[in-house]
Amino acid sequence: MTGAAGWIGRSVPRTEDLRLLTGRALFVDDVHLPGLLHVAFLRSDHAHARLRGLDVSAARRRPGVVAVYTAADLGDYWRTGPVLVQPVPVPGVVFHAATQAPLVRDKVRHCGEPLAMVVAESRYVAEDALADMVADLEPLPAVVDLEAALAPGAPLVHESLGTNLAAHAVQRKGDYDAARAAADLVVSRRFRYDRGAAAAIENRGIVASWDPKSEELVVWDTTQAPIPIRNGLAQFLGLRESQVRVIAPFIGGGFGPKIMMYYPEELLLPWASLQLGRPIKWIEDRQENFYATTQERLQIHDAELAVTRDGKILGVRDRFLHDTGAYDPYGLTIPINSQCTLLGLYDVPSYESEFTVVFTNRPIVTPVRGAGRQHGVFVMERLLDFAARGLGLDPVEIRRRNLLPPEAFPHNHQILFQDSAPLVYDSGDYAPLLERAVEMIDYERFKREEQPRARREGRRLGVGLVSYVEGTGIGPYEGARVTVQPSGGVRVVTGVGTQGQGHFTTFAQIVADVLGVDVGGIEVITGDTREFAWGTGTFASRGIVVAGTACHEAALRVRSKAVALAAELLGPGAQDLVFDGGRVSVRGSPDRSIPLAELARRANPLRGAVRPGTEPGLEATAYFGPDRGSTASGIHAMIVEVDPEAAMVAIRRYVVVHDCGRVINPQIVEGQIQGGVAHGIGNAFYEQLVWDENGQLLNASLMDYLLPTALDVPTVEMAHRETPSPLNPLGVKGVGEAGAIPTGAAFAQAVEDALDDPGLEILEIPLSPNRLFELMQAGKGADA
Amino acid sequence: MKPAPFDYHAPTRLDEALQLLAEHGSDAKPLAGGQSLVPAMNFRLAQPAVLVDLNGVAELAHVTWGRDGGLRLGAMTRQRVLERDRLVADQAPLLAEAVPHIAHAQIRNRGTVGGSLAHADPASELPAVMVALGARFRVRSLTGERWIPAAEFFIGLFTTTLESGELLVECEIPPPPARAGWGFEEAARRHGDYALAGVAAHLELADDGRCAEARVVLFGVGEGPTSSPSARDALLGEKATDGVVGAAAAAVAKDIEPSSDIHASAAYRHYLAQVLTGRALGRAFARAGAVAGPVP
Amino acid sequence: MIVEGTYSFTGRPQAVWDLLLDPTVIAKSMPGTKELVRTAPDRYQGKMQVTVGPITAAEFAVEIALSDLEPPQRFVMTIDGTGRFGFTRGRARVDLQPENGGTRMAYHADLQVGGKIASVGQRLLDMVSRALLRSGLQALSRELEERLAQDGRTEEAG
Repeated sequence: MTGAAGWIGRSVPRTEDLRLLTGRALFVDDVHLPGLLHVAFLRSDHAHARLRGLDVSAARRRPGVVAVYTAADLGDYWRTGPVLVQPVPVPGVVFHAATQAPLVRDKVRHCGEPLAMVVAESRYVAEDALADMVADLEPLPAVVDLEAALAPGAPLVHESLGTNLAAHAVQRKGDYDAARAAADLVVSRRFRYDRGAAAAIENRGIVASWDPKSEELVVWDTTQAPIPIRNGLAQFLGLRESQVRVIAPFIGGGFGPKIMMYYPEELLLPWASLQLGRPIKWIEDRQENFYATTQERLQIHDAELAVTRDGKILGVRDRFLHDTGAYDPYGLTIPINSQCTLLGLYDVPSYESEFTVVFTNRPIVTPVRGAGRQHGVFVMERLLDFAARGLGLDPVEIRRRNLLPPEAFPHNHQILFQDSAPLVYDSGDYAPLLERAVEMIDYERFKREEQPRARREGRRLGVGLVSYVEGTGIGPYEGARVTVQPSGGVRVVTGVGTQGQGHFTTFAQIVADVLGVDVGGIEVITGDTREFAWGTGTFASRGIVVAGTACHEAALRVRSKAVALAAELLGPGAQDLVFDGGRVSVRGSPDRSIPLAELARRANPLRGAVRPGTEPGLEATAYFGPDRGSTASGIHAMIVEVDPEAAMVAIRRYVVVHDCGRVINPQIVEGQIQGGVAHGIGNAFYEQLVWDENGQLLNASLMDYLLPTALDVPTVEMAHRETPSPLNPLGVKGVGEAGAIPTGAAFAQAVEDALDDPGLEILEIPLSPNRLFELMQAGKGADA
Repeated sequence: MKPAPFDYHAPTRLDEALQLLAEHGSDAKPLAGGQSLVPAMNFRLAQPAVLVDLNGVAELAHVTWGRDGGLRLGAMTRQRVLERDRLVADQAPLLAEAVPHIAHAQIRNRGTVGGSLAHADPASELPAVMVALGARFRVRSLTGERWIPAAEFFIGLFTTTLESGELLVECEIPPPPARAGWGFEEAARRHGDYALAGVAAHLELADDGRCAEARVVLFGVGEGPTSSPSARDALLGEKATDGVVGAAAAAVAKDIEPSSDIHASAAYRHYLAQVLTGRALGRAFARAGAVAGPVP
Repeated sequence: MIVEGTYSFTGRPQAVWDLLLDPTVIAKSMPGTKELVRTAPDRYQGKMQVTVGPITAAEFAVEIALSDLEPPQRFVMTIDGTGRFGFTRGRARVDLQPENGGTRMAYHADLQVGGKIASVGQRLLDMVSRALLRSGLQALSRELEERLAQDGRTEEAG
């Protein structure tokens, strides 16, 4: 239902930007309270070690130190965290739960695990106190290699489990063995996709303030899930939920790790505030972030693709190892995503995917933008590329021949997705996406003219074109409350948090559209548990789908209340009402109208009687929970230039043709895609967390962990198509992660195309000039 | 990442600064742009007991003509000033070409010539450029002053011939000779990163077009700026041909000993050094041959 | 991290052996060693402060144990150094062979470096370890030559 105002689909400038750009937005580190104390953590230098002893007495004596806590000081509060996401019920699934504790008590399982917490007058003094502490750590051999970890006799991350196997699951459809037997060509390779960090511009931070007089705890937290954190904290501390308020203020980027819950710091700061009766702050510094905040995403795949000589896919088999780090609180979300996203836009009759999740002595792995989808896409797109080469087909052509046709929707892939529901593509129209991308990157002309001409000049240009389908907008649910104020302003409150996605604007647009008010007159509140008590958080590209729809539904209920009241007030025949410009009028008779503000005032009488069953005010709350996620899709195409002498790669053009269903705000969608592509380019070509064989991180600073800068990322050329989702009234699909998903595959294809050397295959991410040099040298060696 | 406690002094005159350094000896570190020292302090890898802040010593920052042409640069001259100064572009075009490669503009706004040279990071550009230009440095202490040729100043990993209590106060760059050519090449992962390898090349041609002098200085491939005598030998007396350039580029391999790290293997650095030298020498010859008289 | 190489000394293997197993000599030669004492046969304890460029505060407590001794040909050394900025642990094999009247020492060390030094000093680790080692070996070599010269003079005098 689009109001006369037509706010949906408009590139409304973001309402939150003025505050953000003029320094008037509150971030966690902006919170200053009288008597605020500061925290630093003593963290393990070893990846795997027994904690034999910890002497903090000197630290306690240092002037300016208020308290030092170790595991022993926590008493009954020392307990391991909950499993946050129950394992998806794949038949036969094996899952061994092992979760993190607030402070190490017996054994260190990854570098950076916290051993002790110092509370002091300033962060400077707290860091001085760290030097006073003496930890007696007995190093143990570290578990880092995924295959070695599963071999008999390997050191164990969790002795009580007797194994480093954290989980195992197989999902199947059709009959891959038959497909393989019937195939004209089977292509098989081993792929490796390495660890990276989310590297949000704002690190994590917490301020916890327990007021002993009001017996209330207020926590500011850079979390993507304020409501679950509130609930968990109340339970952990033995408080009523109403005594705990969690505020997620403006947050400088989330990208996934901030949806990880019950981090040690998240529990310890509130607990310590209760002990001391004073407000306490911890702001993670960048170096800590590399160890203390979750990351992603090492997987090793042995995969094969069975095709006919025409390039039609008969089946795929994939066996992969997934590194979960030292603990597995987030269940199977990432490897399931990898399994599901591998299927892509294609018709895959038979599929067999088996994964084994492995514990290692590295920090915990939880979803980071893309959340395992990159891996599935990389494997499938690369296999198609190698099959194309083997069959003498163009890489675009082999994709064309396997696209699901538009009449195939809804398409049930039969395997389970991360929301435990079967993976069903709700809507999509893939061929036009592909052709539009081919047109925008000028594929034909590039291959026919530009590439050969460049080669003659000694330049190596290459093109890559890849696709993806992304499951988005999953449940369980979100809620929203819409209230028309007596002033005429509208207040929208929802339980999700915002880390830069533009919710303040898009949710306002949705409500503005229904109620006919200006977006500027709508205040959106997110991320405060005192305002809204029910919800799960911002993750998995679901904000606009689930919370946005809840806003829509709540606005519709407010509208029907307004209609009922206006009909009474505007007299007989006031059936067909128009909501526009903050007024409600009879269509065709603009003089018979009443301001929405007036309706709100009338809806809340101070005296008199109302009919039984009437709710006061123009306010309504609604919840939305889709029974499954909606699937967005897209094509990425890029042109690179490789300097064959120096092994350097430059991106010349980057095109994204994208379908995220109905677009609420095109500018915000474009921002998400541009940012996602930057993230993808980082993963593909610059970013790699380098862990050595002893579980040591060799690049824990932005000097050596390379994030692409604005100078390294091209402006993405974009086109949109919309296949609305039938699963929600707005027809929207998620878009937060899309840009980051297929970039690795595009890079690999484009660089191979530029170098045009059948002996040079890119089977791993990230790529770097150093690695490209090695591959080029190896190729030469093979020829010689 | 907060530094350990330290005492702080902000002298406004050079003799005051030298007095403080002499008094505190190895407990004190001079603070110039702070772009290397302050991060090291924040990581607590450096914990000087005393910081002597030179940013208030106005007499240390200047860009002026040398005695017979050329340049005199005060040690506290900001890198960003070098980048934009016409005198520098005129008298030391190699320097003007190299400076934009140093980190990012924001860092160059604070970073100084003297700070970078005294710090002697093996991947940094300025030491190599100064050696290629045949520069010399004026060094002061409480007890006196001495001049040190750039080629003798850098003696090891982060190590210069500066003694305790000494400050580098000025760089003198000779005027560009007639028929001089220069080339600067650097390979880095991103704009402004530490160089994987780099080269600063300075050539002088005789009237007959043959190479009369050559200084090929590499960085990022050893413990400090690394001159390549082998490249020099391959160039002296030769005319500019692809063969000569190729031979000189290949020759640098003998004079460098790069290390491996997570960004590049020693083998890749070796290879890059040769590729970059070839490109730098090509440009240097082109520039030298392009004009018959003094370099504009 | 693997650190390996060879070095030639002018003295015979026995003289080099005696040198390498003398804690006062090692303490003098290895850059940054503040003290090194023998606590048991084949065990040493000490303090080292490594200063390289901006890094001036890297202090380590070290423990060294010698094993598999086959004088004067080879031994194995295990090193354990811990400090506020990280740690280093590892094993080194040292082989001494006579060569041209002198001794050719071959060393192969597998060192684990961890903590802050490893995570922010990566760019320099290779270079620093080589530079420190070279510096130490050169100092040892000078020490050996002094000793030999002294022995020579003692012989002449005696």
